[in-house]
Amino acid sequence: MTESAPKPVLRIRDLVVEFKTEMGVIRALDKISFEVMAGESLGIVGESGCGKSVTALSILKLIPSPPGRIAEGSIELDGIEVVSQPEHEMRKVRGALASMIFQEPMTALNPVFTIGNQMVEVIRVHQKVSKTKAKKQAIEMLRTVNIESPEKRIDQYPHELSGGMRQRVMIAMALSCSPKLLIADEPTTALDVTVQAQVMEEIKRLQQEMNMGLILITHDLGVIAESCSRVLVMYCGKIIEMAETGELYKNPRHPYTRGLLDSIPRVRKEKLKTLPTIKGMVPDLADLPKGCRFADRCPKVEDRCRTEEPPLEDTEGGGKVACFHPN
Amino acid sequence: METLQYAIRKLIYAIPLLFGVTFLSFILMVHFGPDLTYSILPKSATQEQIEEIRAELGYDLPFLQRYGKFMKEVVTLDFGSSTSSGEKVSSILKKAVPVSFLVALPAFILANLLGILLALYAANHRGRFPDKAVMVLAAIGMSISYLMVVIAFQLIFCTSYGLNWFPVQGWVEPPPDYPDATAGEIFYYYWYYYWSYVAVPTLASIFVALGYNTRFFRAVIVEELNRDYVRTARAYGVRNRKIMMKHVLKNAMIPISTRIIITLPFVVIAGNLVVEKFFGIPGVGLVTYDAITNGDLPIVKAVVTCTAVLYVLALILTDIVYKIIDPRISYSK
Repeated sequence: MTESAPKPVLRIRDLVVEFKTEMGVIRALDKISFEVMAGESLGIVGESGCGKSVTALSILKLIPSPPGRIAEGSIELDGIEVVSQPEHEMRKVRGALASMIFQEPMTALNPVFTIGNQMVEVIRVHQKVSKTKAKKQAIEMLRTVNIESPEKRIDQYPHELSGGMRQRVMIAMALSCSPKLLIADEPTTALDVTVQAQVMEEIKRLQQEMNMGLILITHDLGVIAESCSRVLVMYCGKIIEMAETGELYKNPRHPYTRGLLDSIPRVRKEKLKTLPTIKGMVPDLADLPKGCRFADRCPKVEDRCRTEEPPLEDTEGGGKVACFHPN
Repeated sequence: METLQYAIRKLIYAIPLLFGVTFLSFILMVHFGPDLTYSILPKSATQEQIEEIRAELGYDLPFLQRYGKFMKEVVTLDFGSSTSSGEKVSSILKKAVPVSFLVALPAFILANLLGILLALYAANHRGRFPDKAVMVLAAIGMSISYLMVVIAFQLIFCTSYGLNWFPVQGWVEPPPDYPDATAGEIFYYYWYYYWSYVAVPTLASIFVALGYNTRFFRAVIVEELNRDYVRTARAYGVRNRKIMMKHVLKNAMIPISTRIIITLPFVVIAGNLVVEKFFGIPGVGLVTYDAITNGDLPIVKAVVTCTAVLYVLALILTDIVYKIIDPRISYSK
């Protein structure tokens, strides 16, 4: 897997995203940095509220503003600096350079317009083609994502499709302008387990065919194990571990990652015991501890953890970890 | 075609409702309605005279028979004659309804249209200055009494204290008889006088309705703006104007059209008591106002019943409009 100088489609440097709330300004993302190469798939895991979705939304500058704003840092999409990009320029980036699939296929499509209407609209935002031609493209795209009889489906409304089908339509829409980066924000969470695998399969296949960068956001480590080459673990708006997937599963370095992996239910040889969980609660973003954010829940906590924030440092495994006493 | 079937089915479902509202009208206006016997007769009336009048007015009939008589009036739209002028109620209303309609229509259309535009503008800038400015103005508009607005506008537009642009009161009269007047000239005459009489009532009505409309419409639009499909459209690069005017507006039209249609009966028949009284416009509002003050029961009965029936019809119309806007509403049930 050693390619000659792979080019990053996405490069995030020291990104800080803040939200104004009644309790003051909250840092939803605190100086995160990572890269995604063309054709690479990166998984982002973490509990709810850790900043996964905020990361995804900031790449396309879709953070609701106010209250949110990108306070610092840079996001480079295929060489274009997104943070300073004005809104009307962003339109050309969204859907064309980087595209997104959302969690809720039930509500993410507009209920009062047909699938075709919405797909044609997106195609015509980025390409100067006639409506008939755009519709042909849309039908082609639906066929690509394995929707049966797309000529019929295209004139249907979202409520006439099943959840899996809708998510396929979302994928078709997201890919209709061949983006370089696809961000999938929990694309299978709302689907039936049987459909989940099919949809994930579809995303992976298309990613490879189109050589896109993929960011897969999920709290399901199983999904990541199957489809991502690299994983990024987030906690409280910080990246705490980053590693090749195999390495991370074999050798989780951060105690939090270890906890996450331990709490995956699996069929064991011995009798099923109580599923291990990570004790305690995620700290409030408005009232973060001084040192390591995981300190209160960490089994290995020492005094230093409570006063000093561990930096993200390289490990022998080729990854990075933010912990004073990694495994 | 399917929509038509749907409409017919809705109409059939409305029949019990129509019976309900007419029955209520009957109970209130006829069964428990005022007894006119003693206002017709002198104080010295004899027992025979009283009974004679009561029989003539139908007061001595049993309940069901009176109800039957009332329903016949409703179905044939023949509510008898006005007790004060003797003119048939149906012919009074036939003259008054178009007048009310013509007076209320411009205000109805403009107040809703402007309301939607202002609401879109405010919602698009929600939380920022333009939104706050529009909302404060709307609150001011809502807080001023209709009566004050009418008087103030009359002072401003219709008297020599102000601009003196329009007549204070009155309604279009038939044109003076010039034998060689062309059709164009006659049209121009009606057009000119129509607007000179309707302008100030329209402005006053818009002033009063706009605040309510804008606040309501804005709330609906802001709610739609928070939906996931808006984020989807934005994530795929659809421009903001199109998101507002296409995606959000069509979804918001579902509650907005309800509100608009529900006010329709008042435009068509219930008229506007205040406006028509103050501007001396011979519409349903003025007719009703005079009928109430004169105790002219047949007219009040007709207006109340027709309003109730129209209300039911407006509700059916809302259902049909829903159907047209929202594909999720099924044809079957």
